Amino acid sequence: MIRFFRSFLAGFLLLAAISQASAASNARNDLVAAILSEDVAQQTEMIKKLAETNEPIVVQVLSAWRLSGVYIHEADDKKIPFLLDAQLNSDGAAKGARIADGEFLKDADGKPIWFSQSDLTAADTNSKLRKTIKTTLDFFSLADPNLKVRRDATIKLGQEQNLDYIPNFEAKLAKETDKETIRALKEAISLTQLTDEKKETRIAALKQLGDSKSINSMNFLQDFLKKAKADTKTYSAEEIRQTEATIDTIEKYMAVGNFVGTSFRGLSTAAVLLIAALGLAITFGLMGVINMAHGEIMAVGAYTAYVTQNLFKEWFGATGGKFDMYFIVALVMSFLTAAAAGLILERGIIRFLYKRPLESLLATWGVSLVLQQIFRSTFGAANVQVGSPSWLSGSYVIQDVLFAYNRIFVIVFAVLIVYGTYLLLTKTSLGLQIRAVMQNRNMAACMGVRTDRVNMMTFAFGSGLAGMAGACMSQLANVGPSLGQNYIVDCFMIVVLGGVGSLGGTVSASLGVGVTNQVLEPWLGAVLGKIIVLGGIILFLQWRPAGLFATKSRSLDG
Amino acid sequence: MTRFLNKKEALILAAVSFLILVVLPCLNAFLPKESFFHISDFTITVYGKYLCYAVLALGVNLLWGYTGLLSLGQCLFFALGGYALGMHLMLMIGKLGQYQKDIPDFMVFLEFETKYPETGGLPRHWIPFRSPWFALLMVVVVPALVAYIFGFLAFRSRIKGVYFSILSQALTYAACLMFFRNDFTFGGNNGLTDFKFIFGHEINTAGTKRWLYIASGILLLSVYLLCRWLTSTKFGLIQRAIRDSENRVLFSGYATAHFKLFVFVLSAVICAVGGALYVPQVGIINPSEMGTEKSLEAVVWCAVGGRGTLIGPIIGAISVNAMKSWATRAFAEQWLFMLGGMFILAVLFMPNGIVGLPAQLKALKERFSKRKNGEETPPATPLETPGVKTAE
Amino acid sequence: MTQKKEFILTLEGVNKTFDGFKAINDLNLYMDEGELRVIIGPNGAGKSTMLDIITGRTQPDTGKVEFGLKTDLTELNEYQINRLGIGRKFQTPSVYVDHTVLENIWLSLEGTRSVWSTLFAKIGSTQRDRIQEVLKTIGLTERANVKAGTLSHGQKQWLEIGMLLAQNPKLLLVDEPAAGMTDEETAKTGELLMSLAGKHSIVVIEHDMVFVRQIARKVTVLHQGHVLCEGSVDEVQNDERVIEVYLGRKKKH
Repeated sequence: MIRFFRSFLAGFLLLAAISQASAASNARNDLVAAILSEDVAQQTEMIKKLAETNEPIVVQVLSAWRLSGVYIHEADDKKIPFLLDAQLNSDGAAKGARIADGEFLKDADGKPIWFSQSDLTAADTNSKLRKTIKTTLDFFSLADPNLKVRRDATIKLGQEQNLDYIPNFEAKLAKETDKETIRALKEAISLTQLTDEKKETRIAALKQLGDSKSINSMNFLQDFLKKAKADTKTYSAEEIRQTEATIDTIEKYMAVGNFVGTSFRGLSTAAVLLIAALGLAITFGLMGVINMAHGEIMAVGAYTAYVTQNLFKEWFGATGGKFDMYFIVALVMSFLTAAAAGLILERGIIRFLYKRPLESLLATWGVSLVLQQIFRSTFGAANVQVGSPSWLSGSYVIQDVLFAYNRIFVIVFAVLIVYGTYLLLTKTSLGLQIRAVMQNRNMAACMGVRTDRVNMMTFAFGSGLAGMAGACMSQLANVGPSLGQNYIVDCFMIVVLGGVGSLGGTVSASLGVGVTNQVLEPWLGAVLGKIIVLGGIILFLQWRPAGLFATKSRSLDG
Repeated sequence: MTRFLNKKEALILAAVSFLILVVLPCLNAFLPKESFFHISDFTITVYGKYLCYAVLALGVNLLWGYTGLLSLGQCLFFALGGYALGMHLMLMIGKLGQYQKDIPDFMVFLEFETKYPETGGLPRHWIPFRSPWFALLMVVVVPALVAYIFGFLAFRSRIKGVYFSILSQALTYAACLMFFRNDFTFGGNNGLTDFKFIFGHEINTAGTKRWLYIASGILLLSVYLLCRWLTSTKFGLIQRAIRDSENRVLFSGYATAHFKLFVFVLSAVICAVGGALYVPQVGIINPSEMGTEKSLEAVVWCAVGGRGTLIGPIIGAISVNAMKSWATRAFAEQWLFMLGGMFILAVLFMPNGIVGLPAQLKALKERFSKRKNGEETPPATPLETPGVKTAE
Repeated sequence: MTQKKEFILTLEGVNKTFDGFKAINDLNLYMDEGELRVIIGPNGAGKSTMLDIITGRTQPDTGKVEFGLKTDLTELNEYQINRLGIGRKFQTPSVYVDHTVLENIWLSLEGTRSVWSTLFAKIGSTQRDRIQEVLKTIGLTERANVKAGTLSHGQKQWLEIGMLLAQNPKLLLVDEPAAGMTDEETAKTGELLMSLAGKHSIVVIEHDMVFVRQIARKVTVLHQGHVLCEGSVDEVQNDERVIEVYLGRKKKH
């Protein structure tokens, strides 16, 4: 019994192998026939039929044919189509591989013939044939193992609205397993069916498009509506109604998508601003020091990320899991380098100017100039490339809305560092000391707080946060010597708007500004939107001069 | 209360004015080119530029040095004045532009003819600028109006100290972004340039350049005298009182906001007139002139020269810019290092600038000799000098 | 204390809350013309906040603040209130350090306060006499032409009082005038204030009980933003509640 079964199985497998091999050789023969045929109509038919086979050789030959890469070798009055081998000899000549069986062409002595391209004549093609070949190749893409290629080919073919393709689509639909591709195939079928002669089919297609909320078909639907309204003989009132309903459904769907997308982008812009402004909120808000070099400290962080990336490239190569880890290391390193830079700045300059905020503004501006020039001399005036690790490139797509990984990361990161800062300020002894110094420097000093040291630590911490912000920026924006300049005004506005010395205020102000920016941008453009936000902030301060979350205090003398 | 101009001061002033307004132009006009003392046309224009910068510095100083308001937006007013006159100069080019049309080149390039067909491509607000008088009026009115509105809002809600600095910086930034836009109708990125005539004279002749230089000199002298007079009045006393103890002034019955607004608008006008004379001499005005870094640079001039004095900002503006001209040629790369470093050093070690240096050195010397004699001295505090008020 | 009588200053049912902290709680205070009133109270009792409310620096949440019979002070801002004749001296001396003593007084003299008038103002002879008079009162005649920044702490305090006098105010609000002074200076300050009483109504906030005893006729004790008791120095010092508040016998402040 078992033996019988075994031999049965072996026979079955053999059969399968033979049929597979013969399918391939059939395809080769068909290709040869198509190439050699003199009749264009016949050629077209044959090529279309080839699309149904699933052989790699077909793609190879058709692509070559389209680009005039199929040649004819004439021997013994027989025409033999062949492809040139990829390997060239020293004369620039190559062997020819017969399409019929893939063997190399040989001369009478059984030695391979070497062809040089300039001596050869290509198999004839014309534009109609090339187009047919192209479409056929697209159909092959429908079966491509790469999901994205498959989807894109489907959408493209659907938009050609060629009724002849429908059987093809349906055949693919039966086999397809990827959800998105199935959706794309259905969409392609419906879109194509809009050109069907039967009214019922068209209406069903319209309904289907509405149900699947096909954003891609919007343009076609609008064209269709125009056509239908102009030609009420062919198109019924019901059809027009259905079209309008479908457009309406899709528009509503798009509006929701837009809203979600805008909110998400607003949120991520807010997160970027928040990360950038948080360091400033600490140095300016808590310490009262205007650090005009804050932006450059961010740039220090961004350049640290750049250097870390380069080191990792050198050690581990430009790709792979180890390289991808560089960004985590870069975040830590950028915190440390920026904190160190902040420490030097505090010890060297700012500590002399605690009682003179206007002067500290001017001196730190001088520092920002010097730092910019250092960046320029060290890294060049042009922007440097900081690549994204693979886990930060790409995006989630939910309901046609893109959620880019790097933006998600920024939002999560912003939440984390705000929470971390909050914990530091409220739960640690350093935080307690910081708040004490902030409220009353002299009293804190009298109570034994080493205000000098607290200043130093606070400033270093704020600068470190700015450095991390810079590393984050390297994933979203260009890293160049003027990186800091682009953010500094926004950052100051947020701190002022939020109310100096208030972490909650900084968070809300970033959210407000970020979201408003994103909402205004599509209407007014980025620049005008920004101007309006700035104007809005100035006017807002009329109403609440001390910012959103001003710590109301009893009067102070002087 | 200080008297307005004593005899010695008036004599020095007259001598310096004679040098700037008469001697230098004569050296340019009447000496042969080979002469050692000859001043080239190029140089005289550069000097004219410095004088305009000095006017700007006096404007900044009137606010910062005397009233304690550090505005990071004075270059906005400088540029606004420049734009107002620049608009007139643009319209005076006539058909001599590259496109040989009635409207300025950039309007042809940006297809204003289709945008504003009813006026042949010229936006409506440009039309009155054909008149030089209107343009000159606008040089004063527009910056004054902008300063009035911003100042009114800021002082009303008692924004002061660094907040005022930050907000004025934001205002400048917003304006800068606005002027960068092509559809704001002021030439966008490239600004206004290629001027050909000013008040009926060709702009690029040696004679015109000399007269523009002399005009800058006269302007600087007038602004100096104006500031000198203003700071010697009771108003000047109140200005400095506001700087040193605003609450005391407020609780003495003075509406400090009105005083600050007055100074702010006056300073804006001074800066704007300086800008208006600057533009025909350099031949271009574009939005980068109102960048925040330009305003800060003007603040550096005051700090280096010595704020809170009238001669300091002038010395600062001229010396820093002369140094910049030299340094950007000699070591282009290092200029930012020098500017930044100069700024840090000036703030840290020279709170009274170049003007205050002799007094500072004297004090240092006295302390040194005292220490030598074994007398007890208080710990060194080089950073606190009388007259420089620490902000509260 | 009848309502009919004309008080120079009336505070009735005034409340003020900062972030949930009740700084002033149903405060009632009436001042006679020419009276010298001393206000004492522990830290946080609301003394300075009360002055802020009178001078327009802070708006009360509720309550009546009137100057004389008719003028509602809550409607006015700082400089308008000052122009009515209410002068205030701050806790830390605030004078114009870069100006001479004489200029300090000149800027404070009563007269118009508009921007334009200051552009062309000159010191007239009557003004000069008035300045000399004030300088004599505060004992700084000899130092008229030195910069105020070079004065000693006590002299700065006197100068600031002089600046108030130059305004010829009806009501003087003086916040801790003796703080940081030597005993001798304190005594002199006391004499100065007493000599002013009668011509002006004066409110003095003070901690130094020796000083209070020197100048006070009537003392008001503030506690938690509310008037705890009023009376002569002896009455107040023997009041059970005051002792309790200051020494914390029953409940802690």
